[in-house]
Amino acid sequence: MNGQLQVVLENLNKNEALRYMGYGDTSPDENILSMMNECEKALLAVIKPCCVYHVFDIEEVGEGVAVYGTSLVLKGDAIREHLAGCCKVVLMAATLSAHADRVIRRYEATDMTRAVMADFLASAAVEQVCDAAEDSIGQEFSAYYRTWRFSPGYGDLPLDIQGSFLDVLQAQKRIGLNATENNILTPRKSVTAVIGLSENEIQKGRQGCSACNMKDVCQFRKRGDHCGV
Amino acid sequence: MGFRELLKNKEFVILDGAMGTMLQAKGLKMGETPEVMNIEKPEWLLDIHRQYIEAGSDVIYANTFGGNRHKLAKCGYSVETLIGEGIRLARKAAEGHDTLVALDIGSIGQMLEPTGTLTFEEAYDIFKEMVIAGREADVIVFETMTDLYELKAAILAAKENSDLPIMCTMTFEENMRTFTGVDISAMCLTAEGLGVDALGVNCSLGPKELYPVVEKICQWTTLPVVVKPNAGLPDPVTNEYNCSAEEFAEFAEKLIPLGIKVIGGCCGTNPTYIAALKKMLEGKKYIEREVHIPAVCCSPTETVVIDQPRIIGERINPTGKKRFKQALLEGDIDYILGQAMEQIDAGADILDVNVGLPAIDEKAMMVKAVKALQGVCDVPLQLDSTIPEVMEAALRVYNGKPIVNSVNAEEKSLETVLPLVKKYGAAVVGLTLDENGIPKTADARFALAKKILDRAMSIGIRKEDVYIDCLTLTASAEQENVMQTVNAVYRVKHELGLRTVLGVSNISFGLPSREIVNHNFLMMCLTSGLDLPIMNPNIDSMTATVRTYKLLTNIDKNSMDFIAHYGADTSSPAPKAEKKSDMDLPYAIEHGLKGEGAEITAKLLETTDSMTIINEMLVPALDKAGEQFEKGKIFLPQLIQTAGVAQGCFEVIKQKMLAEGGSSVSKGKIILATVKGDIHDIGKNIVKVLLENYGYEVIDLGKDVDYQTVVDAAIENDVHLVGLSALMTTTLVSMEETIKLLRANNVDCKIMVGGAVVTPDYAEQIGADFYSKDAKQSVDIARQVFGN
Repeated sequence: MNGQLQVVLENLNKNEALRYMGYGDTSPDENILSMMNECEKALLAVIKPCCVYHVFDIEEVGEGVAVYGTSLVLKGDAIREHLAGCCKVVLMAATLSAHADRVIRRYEATDMTRAVMADFLASAAVEQVCDAAEDSIGQEFSAYYRTWRFSPGYGDLPLDIQGSFLDVLQAQKRIGLNATENNILTPRKSVTAVIGLSENEIQKGRQGCSACNMKDVCQFRKRGDHCGV
Repeated sequence: MGFRELLKNKEFVILDGAMGTMLQAKGLKMGETPEVMNIEKPEWLLDIHRQYIEAGSDVIYANTFGGNRHKLAKCGYSVETLIGEGIRLARKAAEGHDTLVALDIGSIGQMLEPTGTLTFEEAYDIFKEMVIAGREADVIVFETMTDLYELKAAILAAKENSDLPIMCTMTFEENMRTFTGVDISAMCLTAEGLGVDALGVNCSLGPKELYPVVEKICQWTTLPVVVKPNAGLPDPVTNEYNCSAEEFAEFAEKLIPLGIKVIGGCCGTNPTYIAALKKMLEGKKYIEREVHIPAVCCSPTETVVIDQPRIIGERINPTGKKRFKQALLEGDIDYILGQAMEQIDAGADILDVNVGLPAIDEKAMMVKAVKALQGVCDVPLQLDSTIPEVMEAALRVYNGKPIVNSVNAEEKSLETVLPLVKKYGAAVVGLTLDENGIPKTADARFALAKKILDRAMSIGIRKEDVYIDCLTLTASAEQENVMQTVNAVYRVKHELGLRTVLGVSNISFGLPSREIVNHNFLMMCLTSGLDLPIMNPNIDSMTATVRTYKLLTNIDKNSMDFIAHYGADTSSPAPKAEKKSDMDLPYAIEHGLKGEGAEITAKLLETTDSMTIINEMLVPALDKAGEQFEKGKIFLPQLIQTAGVAQGCFEVIKQKMLAEGGSSVSKGKIILATVKGDIHDIGKNIVKVLLENYGYEVIDLGKDVDYQTVVDAAIENDVHLVGLSALMTTTLVSMEETIKLLRANNVDCKIMVGGAVVTPDYAEQIGADFYSKDAKQSVDIARQVFGN
């Protein structure tokens, strides 16, 4: 129950990137769209999107949820609530690869407008990778109901588990994904997430904004939008 | 018998198999630190090592792979303890056998700059500590590396802190590159250049899938080749490897004709696999390879073989360029990066990097420039300095095989530069001049070229790594000697068989129509055997000359490259953006027309003074865009695009002011920094673009900036506004610490803070003077602080 997926993206979610840029329902002009197409092409030419995942049995413990067969404990009330009723978790880590960072850096040296576009497009792309991976995992575990993706840093699940999380998945060796001392994932456009698997239907619980520890400062919420979680 | 003798005397050297697989079989949990078992389960290690020795391993890897200070930070044991114990256990297991013990070192587990935060120098220190802790081993092994820069730090740490032999392997994917994009040729050239004893590939794939990788490695190194494959490919569901021990040996056998020397197993293999390897190798002979490595230089991602004329871009050089000098004085790396990208887009294959200016710390600037350039450019660099300390610093941090520009035939130069070239595995440009200056005749220059070549080869530098510059004289002053240069190029190329370099544009100093002289001289030199013209690729006639030469000499087969560049000439021109005949600056800015904005500015400067243009045209246009942004009528990309046009206009104004000897435009100095620990700096960079275009001088300290660095820069530059950015909740504390330190040092400055997680309340709580919600507001704050 240990997988590695190479995800092929044929196009990037430009609508999502535009939403990140604050466009909301407004349509961008031709000039902006053509620049975005160019950035999309530059990213698609070099990124190597991939994902690793592993499925574990779990057990609720005093401080959170213990992951069997590993030294990892997912701490906090939010993750405990998220995984309530689940018998297993999928730990997953996805990345666009360091090539995405390089494209953005290169644009920063020559054209900030394109740099910003590439940055937002890459953010949208890594979500696409996660969605594709989640679909594939869903098919593999079709006998189970599954929760939405919950990432370290959401609610009170501490970011400082990133290192151990990646160690358990051997993400460094398998897909080149690392965490800095301050728990920032590198390459930058990467995600780690937990998906709960349950034999019984999962009640639609707390999701998105209410569970997010960014809810008080979120720019999306301020303008009545959401980030897409 | 030591490792080097083993390589020389045995047909094949057999390594061991996986350590992690064996430890997990004994009960190691996922995510636990394997090296801790050296203390807590020594019997496990003794058993694993003994099994591999019995299976026939000539070398066993001690359980030290992840024993670095970063990975061991939370385990309670020191690097010294765990590595020392790991080596001791392997030694104990090998007692009574001929088996050698390897200090096994893997990746640190953090990415190096620029994608990560670990500096090259920190990586060196981490590896140095491991090398010293493992001094009792017989050989040092670096394996499972995916970043060439990290591997270089590791090799240097080993070479400079130990006499042990070194073996290194990287992990390549099926696309023949590592995760970070490193090419096989780049690994081979760089590692062999740095002086390792054997190199190759480990992990990721099985012996069957590694065949093309091994084949390419065997073509790119003269060293013994190492292969340590996985037990085939892992099943995506069960994680079981798909290759049995017998199949493993069977596929490995196919690698022998390629000329491999050292073989073992990685993930999924166990002593059965090693025993099968041993059995397969019985009676087999090592196949000597005949490898010829051409004249070549490389970055991690691009290998440039000098088998045809290659353009070296000359523009990263302050000589005769006021704007470049100003950029160096201001530490404006972005300007240098812009110059680099422009040259690459115009056709440069290699970039010359010279940042020498008497008023600056050339060594620090060179290191900064090389690191920044290799963070965005794929082409290899030619490092250009006359100061040996600067050259060595550049060679240390260069990622790949660079060219050193230059050495000459003076004793002092030969003695100081050539050993550096040898140590770092670079190629070198030799100038045909000595204590007596530049000889007049081609014969005398040829003799100096020969002297340089002989000296280089006497210390082990390959002939292919010596390129000769026969030096261009100025036709207007020494017309009678021009042909001496051309003839010297011919002789060096054809009689010595060396690659030739020449800066061509000196030829036309003092003449009218310099471009005509330059490109004709270039064609003459190319015909005589010039391989590496150092020139300005932005001048179309020069790059066209090189492309035409390649077309006419049948290098550019089927004229592919030529047609790709000039074939569009016959088609209709691309439609241009709508151009109003009476277009003014505000219109150009509003519509994102960068080229037009710069053109109009240049024209305006003929009649209007700089400050009037800035205050009455640029700033109001930017203000208008800012207002529309605030009202939600335009969005972030458009706001930045507007600033981008203004940036182009400012560049024209700066050039003009410098040409007239005036000082630069500045409404006030502002420091910007993304705080320590945070590497998300795109927001800060947007703020920078906007502030600069309102006429503020921004001192950009970059990302992951130490608290003290901000304080020092503020004091040193007498800065009255500091902007701090943080994007992560985990790095907000760094923002607070930076402010505390600024206040504790009584720095007379206002502080503005911003970033996704910063709120007005939080800004106030940590003692900031202003909270900036976006780039536009940072401009408003700057106006308030500076009153302009």
